[in-house]
Amino acid sequence: MYDAAIKPRIGETVEAWSVPGLAASGAPAALTGIRVLDLSGLAGQYCGKQFADLGADVILIEPVGGSPVRREGPFLDDRAHVEFSLQFAYFNAGKRGAAIDLDRPEGQHIVRQLAKNADLIIESEKPGLMERRGLSFASLVASNPKLVMTSVTPFGQTGPYANYEAEDIVALALGGLLYLGGYPDTPPIAAYGNQAYLAAAQFASVASMMALLAADEGGDGRHVDVSIQECVTMGLETAIQFYDLEKTVRKRASGEQIMAGVGVFACADGQIYLMAGGIASTRFWANLVNWMVDEGVDGARQLLEPAWQSHDYLSTPEAKTIFRALFAPFAEKQTKAYLYQTGQSRRIPICPINTPWDILTSRQLEYRSFFVSQKHAPSGRMLTVPGAPYQLQETPWRQARPAPRLGEHTSEILAELGYDAAARAALLKSGVIN
Amino acid sequence: MKPLPLHGIRVADFTWIGAGSFTTKLLADHGADVIKIESSGRMDSLRSSRPYKDGVPGINRSGYFADRNSSKRSITLNLKTEAGKDLAQRLIATSDIVANNFTPGTMEKFGLGYEAVRAIKPDIIYIAMSMQGSAGPEHKYLGYGLTMGALTGLQFLSGLPEREPAGTGTNFSDHIPNPCHAAFAILAALRHRRRTGVGQYIDVAQTEPTIALLGPAMSDCSANNRIQERSGNERAPRAPHGVFRCRGQDRWIAISAWQDETWAALCKVLGDPAFARSTQLATAHGRWVNRHTIEQGISAITRYWDAEDLMSALQIAGVPAGVVRTAADIVDDDPQLRHRGHWVKLAHPEMGESVYNAPPFRINDAPATPVAPAPLLGQHTNEVLTTILGLGAAEIEALRREDVLT
Repeated sequence: MYDAAIKPRIGETVEAWSVPGLAASGAPAALTGIRVLDLSGLAGQYCGKQFADLGADVILIEPVGGSPVRREGPFLDDRAHVEFSLQFAYFNAGKRGAAIDLDRPEGQHIVRQLAKNADLIIESEKPGLMERRGLSFASLVASNPKLVMTSVTPFGQTGPYANYEAEDIVALALGGLLYLGGYPDTPPIAAYGNQAYLAAAQFASVASMMALLAADEGGDGRHVDVSIQECVTMGLETAIQFYDLEKTVRKRASGEQIMAGVGVFACADGQIYLMAGGIASTRFWANLVNWMVDEGVDGARQLLEPAWQSHDYLSTPEAKTIFRALFAPFAEKQTKAYLYQTGQSRRIPICPINTPWDILTSRQLEYRSFFVSQKHAPSGRMLTVPGAPYQLQETPWRQARPAPRLGEHTSEILAELGYDAAARAALLKSGVIN
Repeated sequence: MKPLPLHGIRVADFTWIGAGSFTTKLLADHGADVIKIESSGRMDSLRSSRPYKDGVPGINRSGYFADRNSSKRSITLNLKTEAGKDLAQRLIATSDIVANNFTPGTMEKFGLGYEAVRAIKPDIIYIAMSMQGSAGPEHKYLGYGLTMGALTGLQFLSGLPEREPAGTGTNFSDHIPNPCHAAFAILAALRHRRRTGVGQYIDVAQTEPTIALLGPAMSDCSANNRIQERSGNERAPRAPHGVFRCRGQDRWIAISAWQDETWAALCKVLGDPAFARSTQLATAHGRWVNRHTIEQGISAITRYWDAEDLMSALQIAGVPAGVVRTAADIVDDDPQLRHRGHWVKLAHPEMGESVYNAPPFRINDAPATPVAPAPLLGQHTNEVLTTILGLGAAEIEALRREDVLT
């Protein structure tokens, strides 16, 4: 796979990224031989990345002016430029890139030709737009019977909201997750990091893979219709069931202990999350209290009284107040690392609230060689980014080629289709490609 | 109608609690025969987690358990007995996939580690989904969905900068990142097996998929030396972008109207308010700089609007806007989810008719949906032992007497 010892160094260049179908180690790739056309934006590009990282040949097709994701920060060195978006660089690593105007007949013709040899098309246009371009599933599958097309839209292809506008926060709102986020005394607060778009991209990957297996099995091509709103509803934990079964509506509740011993506590260099009750039941309670006693917390022994074994009591304001008064002064003097390592060694579910820096320097993730170095081609810099989110022993996740520069592979891909140099020059001159 | 995509695939499912059970639900709702192996001695702890039907506790009454286990069968095997282990192995020999999300070492203790399983079924796809992976200095650390949110950075990054980190308010990793990544890995491995005949071991650390989703924040830190702060509902350079109070108790609307056209359309719907006419607000940059003034101005108007009416008015004008829906709203009143058929009511022997999530996507010609409610504990023990393992009634009775099937 990759060498865990490689740490990014400014100016370092690594040219030997793997070719589709074969990891650097020579191990086979699970998705070798699958050709993907990724026409999507924020709501789909992680899906294309998942396919690329397991060995599919993924071609990102973006507008001649560049994917809108190129305009999303953060930017390398804060340089707001289409080649410096770290978001674009991360979500498009492993793909080849072609810039083609899909609103022009010549551009549409190119995609129709590409679709003949594609296994999967991922797109996130408004419902109806692909059809107006002559690129609907029905028309493309006619010349490629096993084609799978996955369409990711805010609300799905049909229905009363099908033409509604949405951004990530709107999908989080209508999917019910936004209402659960934040503090009781503030407006609802959205989860960080485009989680609605990413939820849709992840479910798009699962659905696409199922449809590909079905098509491969001797079935026909499939059209997959992914609704971002509907994907968000999968992340509501117990909220739906609390309403359905007990007729209570769950609300946002951050900033308070869920019950005594479950919640966020400040420490010397940040915060930790302690979970000594709840789903974990109370089987860790004695470990926690004994730790506090050993650390010299005055009054901790009272927590060994029988009342503290009851969920009902732990949920009372009195229990929460008593527990905080005992635990908070102790935690405040210690570091995240001390509380985590010492608490875990005593079999207590306690974890640091990690910052990105804590995660980049985690010894567990380092042991697993989770972070990888990836070249940022326009600057020549090496970026440290998350690597394999799953370790498949026989068909490992592969260190991918860097994200394509705008139009980097346009010419190569058109040449593969048989366009000669003169034809490519003409398309470039007329602005159909970039 | 075509057969479901995973028709003919069998899963020996040792998963429990959140992420594992949701992974195998995705497979079960798409046609796989998922056999959940439980025991009354060490039950899936979600069976004893709220909410319960009518608030009455019972191992077959938890909604938390039910939604994660639709379309599956349940058998009880006492894996502490040799006969129980033997039955598990015989079931695995007929399976395509073995799944678990125990702490590393647990399956080995039952004689069901990967090497042992591979000896029984050489092409098995074996997925382990422990909290932090199968090896490493912290691989045996304890954790749950909420502590995982803390480890992954998602909690630190969500909420207000001056308040404690809020996260999503849910066990987010359990419900979307981990099940989706695990299912994708399994499906990719199925493809590989189909082409080569080779199965494999898959190791998913339940922290890593969520961190993978936060790649841009990680590269901002590693390349730009910046630890991003919580920013509430602000998303630079978008303004206005946020959640605004509407009429009624705890009613809100999410609006993003930062582009020139959507900003103009928003102002029109809000009645062209005076604060919005400032020339400073004519550009996206000017709106970002003055975002606090703008957002106060918008809130002062939206609080008199009904959230649903305002969403309709804004959407007609082309402005991204959505009511901040509660669980009650999305179950009862969301016309789009109703159109999609998202909520499925299934009749459960103890819980009666209750609500389940359908998969959030539609594959044409083979629309998947939960076909059966969550199984009762051990509901299918006899059926599975009879039809899959070929045991006779007398053998099953004997096993029952020997405490193997509890």
